[in-house]
Amino acid sequence: MKHQRLVIMIEISLMAALSIILSYVQFGALWAMGGSISLIMIPIFVIAFRRGWKAGALTGFIVGLLQLFTGATIVHPVQLVLEYPVAYTVLGTAGLFVTSRSFAKGVPYVSIVIGVLAAALLRFIDHFASGVIWFGAYAGDMPVVLYSAVYNASYLIPEVLITIVIIVLLAKYSPAFFRAPKTL
Amino acid sequence: MFEHVIIGQYLPGRSILHRMDARAKLASVFFLIAAIFLTNSWTGYAVLGGAAAVIYLSSGVPFRYIRKGMAPIFLLVLFTFFIHALFTREGDVLLSLGAFQFYEDGVIQGLFIALRLLLLVFLTSLLTLTTSPIELTDAMEQFLSPLNRFRFPAHDVAMMMSIAIRFIPTLMQETEKIIKAQTARGADFSKGSLKDRAQAFVALLVPLFVRSFKRAEDLAYAMEARGYNSGAERTKLRQLIWKTRDTAACVLIVVLVAALFLLRE
Repeated sequence: MKHQRLVIMIEISLMAALSIILSYVQFGALWAMGGSISLIMIPIFVIAFRRGWKAGALTGFIVGLLQLFTGATIVHPVQLVLEYPVAYTVLGTAGLFVTSRSFAKGVPYVSIVIGVLAAALLRFIDHFASGVIWFGAYAGDMPVVLYSAVYNASYLIPEVLITIVIIVLLAKYSPAFFRAPKTL
Repeated sequence: MFEHVIIGQYLPGRSILHRMDARAKLASVFFLIAAIFLTNSWTGYAVLGGAAAVIYLSSGVPFRYIRKGMAPIFLLVLFTFFIHALFTREGDVLLSLGAFQFYEDGVIQGLFIALRLLLLVFLTSLLTLTTSPIELTDAMEQFLSPLNRFRFPAHDVAMMMSIAIRFIPTLMQETEKIIKAQTARGADFSKGSLKDRAQAFVALLVPLFVRSFKRAEDLAYAMEARGYNSGAERTKLRQLIWKTRDTAACVLIVVLVAALFLLRE
């Protein structure tokens, strides 16, 4: 039991490290406007499906802090909290949709896709709110709500689509990744 | 793929700012951010600008690194400045260019906001340029330790962050090796349809995850064999040492913030 806990903790560390590395891997350059498309979310989803939502949320939290500590762009205190730790922590909720029992009858593709979509929606809401708050603080009466929604959707939608394709392929080829005991 | 990638922007050095305690730096940046948002007068910004210049001079960081950190927000600064300068129609007209009119109040407001953004990014980049992620993690662990009472595992989180920081270079090498191996087998990461590229990335991710999970298991055994026990009281390999100059710096910052508070209009 204790050994299992330590293994999970180290898996969380290594997945967080992989997230940071994969954030530098650009998937094509089709949407090259500001917010870039990266594979940063994949390790967080893998651990959330493998070890449950708490492990996923913790991995996301660590990814956000690591980004802050390795040099993030900080333009507002609220943005600091929302765009870094919170934005990735909420991705852990994907783990709520898939349990070890979900794998009893084959790979639960539908639950996996719904989990990724729900978690990504939370991340969108978070970035959206952060955009409205800090951009609102700087830009006065501009249509900040519309701007924040369009800007954040412009990179999150393609990123989420690519993440879903890759996660589904991973589940198809290596379902064993997601079948570990979910305890933390 | 990773030839030109440097993760993190920490610049090792021996300057005063480098040798300050990470906790003192983290607390100072926190107070300075608050100060930036409190300031609303020219005198206030002049004082803050002077303080930022002094902090910069004590860091020994070449200016090009700062410029690199500020590049992503440069457009944003210009954009917010012009929005304020063009859309705030109060005060006297300073300049009239065809359909565009720059009013005095708008220009002043735009300048304040541009300064605010620049100072924020300047000070936070100086922190990450002169403090290694591992020092920041140790400092954060101590700031979060009061949360232990609410069952937030501050020590465990800090340990996981240290392991992640330690393994970023190792896993990056591994990623590079697998990319080369899969490229040799015909995988193409940058061309082809969406589906082909996704397949190529799966061929990279599967071995990467397999090896990471294996490594996690091995590392857990190695730590247990050396008596690691997360619940026990632990001593530290890297000690943060608080010196008189850290207290002095913090006092100076508090005095500065208090002065800025009094300079508010």
